[in-house]
Amino acid sequence: MDNIQRIVQGVLRFIRQLFGDPQTAVGTTIVLLFLFLAFFGNALAPYGANETGDIPVSAAPSTQHPFGTDTLGRDVFSRVMIGTSSIFQKAGLGTLLAVLIGTVIGLYIGYQGGWIDEATSRVIDALLAMPALLLALVILGVIRNLSLEQGSLQFLLARNSVLLVIAVVYVPIVARVVRSSTLEIKTREFVQAARIRGESLGYILFREIFPSVVPTLVVEASLRFSYAIFLVAALGFLGIGANPPTPDWGLMVEEARGGNYNIAPWALNFPAAAIALLVVGVNLMSDGIKNIVQKSE
Amino acid sequence: MLHKEQNENLSRRRFLKIMAAGAAGAVIVSCTTPGATDEGEEGGSASTDTIRVAWGGAPSVLDPSQASADVEIAFLNAIYDYLIDTDADNTLVPRLATDWEVNEEGTVYTLTIAEGVTFHNGDPLTLDDVMWTLERLGSDESSAADLFGIIETMEADGNTLTITLSEPDADFLYTLADNRALILQANAEDIGNSFNGTGPFRLVEYITEDRAILEANPDYFAGAPTVGGLEFIYFPDTEAAVNALRSGTVDSVLRLDNPTFLGLSEEDLYQAVDVATNGHDLVRLRADREPGSDPNVRLAFKHATDRQAVFERVQLGFGALGRDNPIGPLYSRYYTEAFALPEHNPEMARQLLADAGYPDGLEMTLFVPNAPGRPELAQVLASQWAEAGINVTIEVQEESVYYGDDGWLEVDLGITPWGSRPIPQFYLDVAYKSGAMWNEAHFSDEELDALIEEAGATTDEAERVGLYEEIQRILIERGPVIIPYFFASFGVFAENVSGVAVHPFPGRTNFNNAVLA
Amino acid sequence: MSVLKAENVGISYKVNKQWIGAVREFGITVEPGEIYGIVGESGSGKSTIARGLIRYLPSNGRTEPGSRIEFLGEDISAAPPAQMRNIWGARMNLVPQNPMAALNPSIRIGKQIAELIGAHTDLSREAIMDRVIDGLERVNLADPEKLVERFPHEISGGQQQRVMIAMALSTSPKLLVLDEPTTALDVTTEAVILELVRDLIKEDETAAVYVTHNLGVVAQICDRVIVMYAGEIMADAPVYDLFYKPLHPYTIGLLNAIPQPGQTKRDRPLQTIPGRPPSLADLPQGCVYAPRCPLAIEICQTKPPLEAPEAGRLVRCHRWKELADGSINPRTVYATDEDAIITDTLDEEREPLLELDSLYKYFPTRRTVQDIIKGEKPSPVRAVDGVNMTVNRGRTYGLVGESGSGKTTLSKVVIGLFEKTGGEMILMGVELPAALRGRDRETLADLQMIFQNPQNSLNPYLTVGQSIRRPLMKLGGLSRTEAETEVRRLLKAVNLREEYATRYPNELSGGEKQRVAIARAFASNPMLILADEPVSALDVSVQSAVLNLLARLQKDRDAAYIFISHDLSVVSYLADYIAVMYLGHLVEVGEAQELHQPPLHPYTEALVSAIPIPDPARREDPVLLNENIPSARDIPSGCRFHTRCPRKIGAICETDAPPWRADGEGHYIRCHIPIDELIEAQRKTLPEVEHS
Repeated sequence: MDNIQRIVQGVLRFIRQLFGDPQTAVGTTIVLLFLFLAFFGNALAPYGANETGDIPVSAAPSTQHPFGTDTLGRDVFSRVMIGTSSIFQKAGLGTLLAVLIGTVIGLYIGYQGGWIDEATSRVIDALLAMPALLLALVILGVIRNLSLEQGSLQFLLARNSVLLVIAVVYVPIVARVVRSSTLEIKTREFVQAARIRGESLGYILFREIFPSVVPTLVVEASLRFSYAIFLVAALGFLGIGANPPTPDWGLMVEEARGGNYNIAPWALNFPAAAIALLVVGVNLMSDGIKNIVQKSE
Repeated sequence: MLHKEQNENLSRRRFLKIMAAGAAGAVIVSCTTPGATDEGEEGGSASTDTIRVAWGGAPSVLDPSQASADVEIAFLNAIYDYLIDTDADNTLVPRLATDWEVNEEGTVYTLTIAEGVTFHNGDPLTLDDVMWTLERLGSDESSAADLFGIIETMEADGNTLTITLSEPDADFLYTLADNRALILQANAEDIGNSFNGTGPFRLVEYITEDRAILEANPDYFAGAPTVGGLEFIYFPDTEAAVNALRSGTVDSVLRLDNPTFLGLSEEDLYQAVDVATNGHDLVRLRADREPGSDPNVRLAFKHATDRQAVFERVQLGFGALGRDNPIGPLYSRYYTEAFALPEHNPEMARQLLADAGYPDGLEMTLFVPNAPGRPELAQVLASQWAEAGINVTIEVQEESVYYGDDGWLEVDLGITPWGSRPIPQFYLDVAYKSGAMWNEAHFSDEELDALIEEAGATTDEAERVGLYEEIQRILIERGPVIIPYFFASFGVFAENVSGVAVHPFPGRTNFNNAVLA
Repeated sequence: MSVLKAENVGISYKVNKQWIGAVREFGITVEPGEIYGIVGESGSGKSTIARGLIRYLPSNGRTEPGSRIEFLGEDISAAPPAQMRNIWGARMNLVPQNPMAALNPSIRIGKQIAELIGAHTDLSREAIMDRVIDGLERVNLADPEKLVERFPHEISGGQQQRVMIAMALSTSPKLLVLDEPTTALDVTTEAVILELVRDLIKEDETAAVYVTHNLGVVAQICDRVIVMYAGEIMADAPVYDLFYKPLHPYTIGLLNAIPQPGQTKRDRPLQTIPGRPPSLADLPQGCVYAPRCPLAIEICQTKPPLEAPEAGRLVRCHRWKELADGSINPRTVYATDEDAIITDTLDEEREPLLELDSLYKYFPTRRTVQDIIKGEKPSPVRAVDGVNMTVNRGRTYGLVGESGSGKTTLSKVVIGLFEKTGGEMILMGVELPAALRGRDRETLADLQMIFQNPQNSLNPYLTVGQSIRRPLMKLGGLSRTEAETEVRRLLKAVNLREEYATRYPNELSGGEKQRVAIARAFASNPMLILADEPVSALDVSVQSAVLNLLARLQKDRDAAYIFISHDLSVVSYLADYIAVMYLGHLVEVGEAQELHQPPLHPYTEALVSAIPIPDPARREDPVLLNENIPSARDIPSGCRFHTRCPRKIGAICETDAPPWRADGEGHYIRCHIPIDELIEAQRKTLPEVEHS
């Protein structure tokens, strides 16, 4: 009971600190706004994501269609709103998955050390040497076309390929950050005290070391999230991140470019602006989180 | 209500534009073709000018027997000559062959070859060169071996060439007009790297992935070109090519996508020309297994599709409306609108599905190659079909993946683009006959098979018209395919260019009569 | 003229957008050749004022308006940085605690000093180099011509600090500020540095401000002393008066909290100062010391003025007159912890608990490229190299030695954090498995450890209750409710209130954290506790309470301690037996009280004589050892100590391993010199022990 109260207080204090600095407040507001859209965008959108019916094609922004319509006659405003959930699902869940896996790996190799750390770290270095987008393309190339059969496991993997790619691309980065934190924390004496008590590996990693990694992890996760948004948009833009007619922002930009840009530029400008705004927002917020964490340390 | 009005206004405005663009193209074609020589003589001073043509892509194969892309054919078409050319209406036009005769069975073709033709190296063209080229095209190393392999014997007599086929082929003249049938000098070496043709232009310099600089061949047998030179400039994509046109560094761009062309034509700064083709997107449902094996399901798809809306949104009104069969308006002799298309009626489609045992509709995956316009087509279809209870997941695949391992032949529901061919028989033979190599719908209909067989063999034009009409009826009524539209081919020219007729296959556009004002 | 004269100096730091006064109303006058000590606990502001006096504050610090700092007659309290840069290095210099942070690791030592001289003089290159060599010779660094070519990391910590001093003196500054310059050093090295500083400052007539927390150092080196508490001067006095006639209760508390040489827990418990220093952001009204002061009365709610009881003395206390006239006995100002009085004697023979038989722990070293080229296998680090030792129930064993002697490694091998390389460990007659995973629950419960750094010994994300509860449930097998009760009992046993159970470590002071760590160690009811420097990170006022606590818990629970410390006065206070370790093995074993009288191993003798005695009247010259401690990878032949031994008798020391010599009363010395001769020789040199 006491703990819950403490956690709630801590979270409230954290939120208060987030709004304490003007830049962070702006960033947090932007992110919260998009988060709101991620949950309720679908319900609030005036049109369906793929509704074409009586909607005019390539119509310029108007009161009826604030962001205009695209060449297929879909309401861009609605698509941007509904697409928010897609970007949060892919970038957010992908980041979450990366953080979960990366944390476990980082804690384990950081604590165990020895050849297993040496070997894993080399693999991580190798993966990090590759640009994220390139790595993503390689992985996508493998899993995206695993199977054409609906319902199979491979199909499921292929369906969620972007989420998985985000996870795979960022696992090494998270693992490395967690590892270096772990290397420092494991030398602290409370960890030795736990070993002397004969605690299990799991207890030492997750009960003793993990809480001290959390502040670093929060900063890293927020940073990863902002990069993940970019990556998701980039993959969508390259036409491999999302399948039409998903209202994925990157895909929307891709579909609206080239010749289409001449007849419906707004169909490109608004989703692109949404990407930029969200990335800026997350970055401002992540900067703020970093400052707060550093200050409290 | 407001929506509806806006919609109508907009599409009407759009259509006016499109009509205007089409008319402009027609002007170029009509006014230059008859008066080409006049202008050529008059524009003596202009003949020093070079016409610069931009492409969104660069050639990779320049051996005529292997080439296929527009950029490649355009380059070769400038340097070499065909025996027989085709014009924008798909009509056969003399080139090196000035005249031809066919026997009744369609097995013996007699051609008269122009005299006084010389290669760029000065050697005269002989019938040996022609025969050597045709043999090469029929050999295994040629990608056109299927077409030219039926040549049994060739005999030369003066300037007359007699070709005897091993089996009747009513369309062999079109084979001779094939994109790859460019006449080389006998025993030519280093084909694809050194270029010695009889064509209107001579190669000055070829810079890979950058440009090809050609000069007019003053000794061209049909008269020296009206321009002093021709330059093909290769850009990484259409956008870059269009930018080059905007900045004035090129005079023309060929092969554009629909929205880019629409954008340029709306600017009113250029001559925008569109030409009808028989290329089309084939939306097909596998007919050899569920659910496509049920004719009701196939009909349901047809009723669920609003072809006019697809045509407007995806083609932006360019090209022609399709009628679920590959015989388009370009083949004016065979094309018919006598049979009614299943009307757009989602309710009826729903009912048909229920009759076929799918009261809750269908869940399917629609496979689409990632080529310009195709994902859009898939999205428009998906939203239309959804109204009829057909919910499709769109799977956009890279072309290499889509065609790789014959995946496109396997999937239940797919969209495949088919290029424009000069004759309809080709489509029927390879994609609609039972067991045909590329019968991707796996359609098997005895009546249709018999009709296709007959149409391919007859040389009686009237009989053939009747057969093709029957074929159209069958495919409209029960075929597992939807062909919502036929593409247009586009060319955009600076205001000062005239004398160029855009070909349905842009690579076959001839520039020897071009005029730069 | 005074070198430094400061009045009414205030220094503030900006923390979280708020200015916090770290030092208030500070005044000092330093004469040439005078060493002025500033002593205080952590957070007292002693380092802040030392740096503030030379205007060398971090960017978030500022000197309050109204402060006056005269340096050689010139007010520098508001001097612009450009002017200060001319003064720093030339006329005033700072010797920091950590020389490695102050020396540039990538520049050769000679060049670093030469650059400083070159920046402030017009000397030629040759003249500068001469001065560099001279300077290094003055700080007794051997072979200065070779030393100038070396990089800072290539020399030992003591040598680095000597280089720092040479550098600081190289420009003949008028004022030298030394900020805890020996705190990070071994006691043997500290003795060397202290003597050096004292001699050089006297010689150069330099004025010095010496900041330290160590009253022993103050007594040994300073002429005058300022005692600071919570940013204010509590007392300012000549060193002798401060120690013999303290007029401030805080000074008295500090003096009574440190063990005198020879004092043990059986003599009397140490006096402790209750409470903890106030937060600078939330200072008490009135006297800042009042909340902890046993003499505090009503008037102490108003701020006492800084009064001068006599010329040259200042004190800030409402009750100094009662202390001056003897109506309050300084001995009884602070309560004695009655519970911590030990009444048993060592006469009773206790049964053995832990027996170590030729225990070895070698660490393999990585092969370097050089090793591979030479085809040599690198010799291992012989951290523990054949230790025999018996630990009896309920007794305390002090393990002493310089850093690198292997004492911490030994404790970690016993506790199981390191696995032994060879030898035997027997716990209560049963072989003790080397690895932790080989030990059953009872064994794990029997052995516990208290760590040096209270900051790190508690998990910051677990409450005090959770930290203590875990071993109770995991090792003690208690149910949750039983554990809760036991947690409260343990907290009480370490003098913490029950509500501490719900607090997090960051809400606790260092001493409180260490008490929790002790409670946690006792939770599993262990037979043996290994305490590795448990009080060395604590302030004096807190240290005594923890020592008393350890003594009392041992009495109550009959646990044995292995108590590791570099501070011999602390060890000899708490321990029953002493084991002296040098380069991986023991050189002397005996009862703790014998540590202060002959015979002693020459090494022990040096250690004992190096302790800075908190008595300005006793400034004996210590036995100085050179700092070249041989590497544990390359242990000298014969007697391991022969390379540094001041009593080396000849070639035998270099060739033959010395025998264990016994004095017949359980005291063993590993030396070639017979016991009698040692007694004879050491009677002259060892300091007299005060017996109380």
